[in-house]
Amino acid sequence: MTKEMIKVTNLQKSFGNLHVLKGVNLTITEKEVVVIIGPSGSGKSTLLRCMNYLEEPTGGSVVIDGIPLTNDANINEVRKEVGMVFQRFNLFPHMTVLENLMLAPMKVRGIIKSEAEATAKMYLEKVGLADKANTYPEQLSGGQQQRVAIARALCMKPKALLFDEPTSALDPEMINEVLDVMKSLAHEGMTMAVVTHEMGFAREVGDRVVFVDGGVILEEGTPDDIFFHAKEERTRSFLSKIL
Amino acid sequence: MDLNFDLIASSFPLLLAGAAITVEITALSVGFGLLIGCMVGIARLCNVKPLRYLANIYVDFIRGTPLLVQIFLVYFALPGITGSRVDPFFAAISACSINSGAYIAEIFRAGIQSIDKGQMEAGRSLGMSWAQTMRYIIMPQAFKRIIPPLGNEFIAMLKDSSLVSVIGFEELTRRGQLIIARTYASFEIWMCVALIYLVMVFMVARLVAMLERKFDTK
Repeated sequence: MTKEMIKVTNLQKSFGNLHVLKGVNLTITEKEVVVIIGPSGSGKSTLLRCMNYLEEPTGGSVVIDGIPLTNDANINEVRKEVGMVFQRFNLFPHMTVLENLMLAPMKVRGIIKSEAEATAKMYLEKVGLADKANTYPEQLSGGQQQRVAIARALCMKPKALLFDEPTSALDPEMINEVLDVMKSLAHEGMTMAVVTHEMGFAREVGDRVVFVDGGVILEEGTPDDIFFHAKEERTRSFLSKIL
Repeated sequence: MDLNFDLIASSFPLLLAGAAITVEITALSVGFGLLIGCMVGIARLCNVKPLRYLANIYVDFIRGTPLLVQIFLVYFALPGITGSRVDPFFAAISACSINSGAYIAEIFRAGIQSIDKGQMEAGRSLGMSWAQTMRYIIMPQAFKRIIPPLGNEFIAMLKDSSLVSVIGFEELTRRGQLIIARTYASFEIWMCVALIYLVMVFMVARLVAMLERKFDTK
């Protein structure tokens, strides 16, 4: 049996009176790429953010690679192993690209500087930005910043990566450079959960597509199932509006 | 009216020596205030409730009472509890530091809160603790933004330190009072005192502007 990397059980999340997640069950196995789609306000970003406890669920459980998230100690432990890429990049503006990549491996994993630098340069090379090591984030385009953010997450050698609408803040001509990096990660067997509106990406690299609406998973299946043979009327109407 | 220039010339060195003491009190108070303010500012944002309440009480009390009363509390009221006389220098520095600390705490809090919350999330998502993220990511960015309000606080303290003259501590204002008590030359001396404060404030303002530019280039 394949290993369960992320297991979400009966996940609930409320913001005050607003009930955003109403019992979500989702299991992502090792090397699987799961694309989470759905209308805005459906709870898909909240679901993703609950997976590393950036948002604390109000009920249910999250288990990452066998470790249940229960207290601060194992939350930090799990966050080391699960990288996150944000819509707005969230690079550290007061540090160079290289420093952005080296900080967490050195402070969290205790890796020595020379090793952290070598790893950082390797991943910068991988995202095609080896020549930008010593620039500051604000000097880069949005697409370049997002590729740096992906490299920064990779430097922690995570077991899984969460992507929260990674291309939504980008100019259209920069979307592909980011998607290409994500595709190559998927092909190399990275476990990924991706919230996105890029249906082309979902069809091409998604092993499974999950449609979230009204705080629950309404339907899930292979990209082919969802895009061409959706059972739910709600799924079909959503897809017809964005495809 | 005739200005007594001889008196101005002979008093000026005394006043300048007083001004040096004013700068000393201000620098020490804002220095200690920075330490207090940094800790209290962070305490006001942390999720340990007792710590947050204590910090809030401190800031509310200091901001809600006049500095003059705080100086009296330390200099006149404290000996009533401890039983021993308080040294004026100690009273001046501690009252001003505690006062400055509360205002600087607010400056730190506002500076930290002005940093996009995505920065904290990015730090935490990489496995860094709250304290590590504060230290390596939030504070360096916040510090840049709090330089101008810190400059204002320094200028305010430079002028407010004149209040410690009431406990007989001989800084610039007290020196002026003492010279006038001897010579009755109110106009000349108060004009000199005012001028010296003005020049000091002007220099500090320029220094802060320079610092701002220095940190802005990166």
